[in-house]
Amino acid sequence: MGLGAYVAVSAALFVLGLIAILVRRNVIYILMGIEMILNAANINFVAFNRFGSMKLDGQMFAVFVIILAAAEAAVALAIVLNVFNLFDSVKPSEADLLRE
Amino acid sequence: MNPVSPYLAGLRYVAPEVLLTLVALAALVWDLVLRGRDSRKVGYLTLGGLLATGWLLVQQWRDLGASSTGALGTTVLGMVTIDRFGTFFKLFTVGALLVVTLFVLFDRREKKHGIGEYYFLLLGAAIGIFFMVSTNNLLLLMLGLELLSLASYSLAGFHKGDKRSGEAALKYIVFGGLSAGVMLYGISLLYGLTGTIDLGVMGRGSADGSAVGLAAQFALSPVPIAIAIVLVLAGFAYKVSVVPFHFWTPDVYEGAPTPVTTFLAVASKAAGFAALLRFMGALFLVEGVDAAVAAYADRIGLLLAILAAVTMTLGNLSALRQSNLKRLLAYSSIAHAGYALMGVAVMTSAGFSAAIFYLAAYYLMNLGAFGFLLYFEGVTGSEDVDALKGLGWRYPLVSCAMVVMLVSLTGLPPTVGFYGKLLLFYEGVEAGYAWLVVIAALNSVVSLFYYFRVAKALFLTDVEEKPALAQPVLASVIAVLAVFTIVTGLFNAPLEAWSDAGPASLGIPSATGSR
Repeated sequence: MGLGAYVAVSAALFVLGLIAILVRRNVIYILMGIEMILNAANINFVAFNRFGSMKLDGQMFAVFVIILAAAEAAVALAIVLNVFNLFDSVKPSEADLLRE
Repeated sequence: MNPVSPYLAGLRYVAPEVLLTLVALAALVWDLVLRGRDSRKVGYLTLGGLLATGWLLVQQWRDLGASSTGALGTTVLGMVTIDRFGTFFKLFTVGALLVVTLFVLFDRREKKHGIGEYYFLLLGAAIGIFFMVSTNNLLLLMLGLELLSLASYSLAGFHKGDKRSGEAALKYIVFGGLSAGVMLYGISLLYGLTGTIDLGVMGRGSADGSAVGLAAQFALSPVPIAIAIVLVLAGFAYKVSVVPFHFWTPDVYEGAPTPVTTFLAVASKAAGFAALLRFMGALFLVEGVDAAVAAYADRIGLLLAILAAVTMTLGNLSALRQSNLKRLLAYSSIAHAGYALMGVAVMTSAGFSAAIFYLAAYYLMNLGAFGFLLYFEGVTGSEDVDALKGLGWRYPLVSCAMVVMLVSLTGLPPTVGFYGKLLLFYEGVEAGYAWLVVIAALNSVVSLFYYFRVAKALFLTDVEEKPALAQPVLASVIAVLAVFTIVTGLFNAPLEAWSDAGPASLGIPSATGSR
């Protein structure tokens, strides 16, 4: 399998993640969409590293992105839990005290 | 040779970062030891740590002055670059953090106990900023940015029982996570196209041929390059709240605790600009870039100029309609992001200097304005402009200081805001963006209306007799900031020299980009 296949998969994942974020109303799905985008970037990093005969920059980047994703998920879920306690809902559209 | 020794030698360069990390950990541990009792002690520890870090940074600035290029070098693996540009922003970050810490300590509405994490999170965010503004490596840039973001998300939701705070945190992390993901995807494409994650190598190409410079890729694959750069710019645009990535700003600024809003509006935004300036500088403006790259820089500049025009117009027009002072300042900060973006858009060394100067001015006047907001939240318990009516006569010192801030935010002499705008406008015209300067000038006139409304509420309404409520520390912080705003406006030469040193230390020749 060539580089093109990997890049295609990653692009598809990126678009799917974007769609999930834009279409879904539930914040859990939105967070999953964000994870998909991060993993799309990861596939790119590893694939470019593998096919580009470069130094290990891409692999290293991917490892750090995994850590970032975990940290972000932890903070995000804590915030979502707090919002659920306050609003009895995990839909951003129902937390709407702040507006014009 | 001992394989560890280059790393140990590199530690000297990151002494401020190391100290700040130690202070952050000490704050966390001490809070645990105190079991949440009397969190003010942790706050004083934070103040002390910040002062020590500031002292180290001043030393570093002196060392940098001794070097001809204004850059000291890079730690191992090319991760951290120490130059005047980075140190300038670090110094201002420490200054802003000092003020924000004082705000937290003397916020009348904040609890006195069990808020030790507040300081830990602020320090964590500062460490993120430090690495973000002093690296040419996209991995470290991203890690610094995420460290700042993750701390900011938690800070925005710091009042756990407060619905508005919770909602602000939720909106912040949804937008923030999305833009960080988009930016990472852009970086992964840039990596694939050039074979490096180092901005310096990306701009010029590497000597051994292991990495292709951007110049070669413009010819080979123009569309992927354009997509990658736009995606990365989207990440920056979110951080500095430029249209169309500004939606989170008013809501998050309004819902977050006021000291946190101050931090987000001032330190976080300036850090975003610093990283953006370094990114643009290293890719497009450094010495020895290709002619094709320089031509591309003009196109990116035009895109940024359009975004700047839209951002400042939208920010100012939306601010006109606000009755909530916090939200008004949020929209005003969007407008100011538009002004500062002008300096980036002109894509010259002098334009970058003007943007850096304007950011320095922005630190001073917005810290003061948010301090005023905090002061009157403590007095009235309300964020409404109407609640300020007649308070000017009861709190003359703070209110006069606020009027100075408002004059500076509008961009009228003799304040630093005026001189900053003057520099930006001048460089804008020089670079051929006269239309943008006209829009910016009209915007300044519009902003006069809503800034004046605050001053009018303070002074031009009847006095209501009530005993005044003294908050001496906040008042003196605000007064000092106001004095600085005027003094740096009148004697702007040192600040201008410092901001000029920034682009030079990035390796941007002073004549680039002039058309």
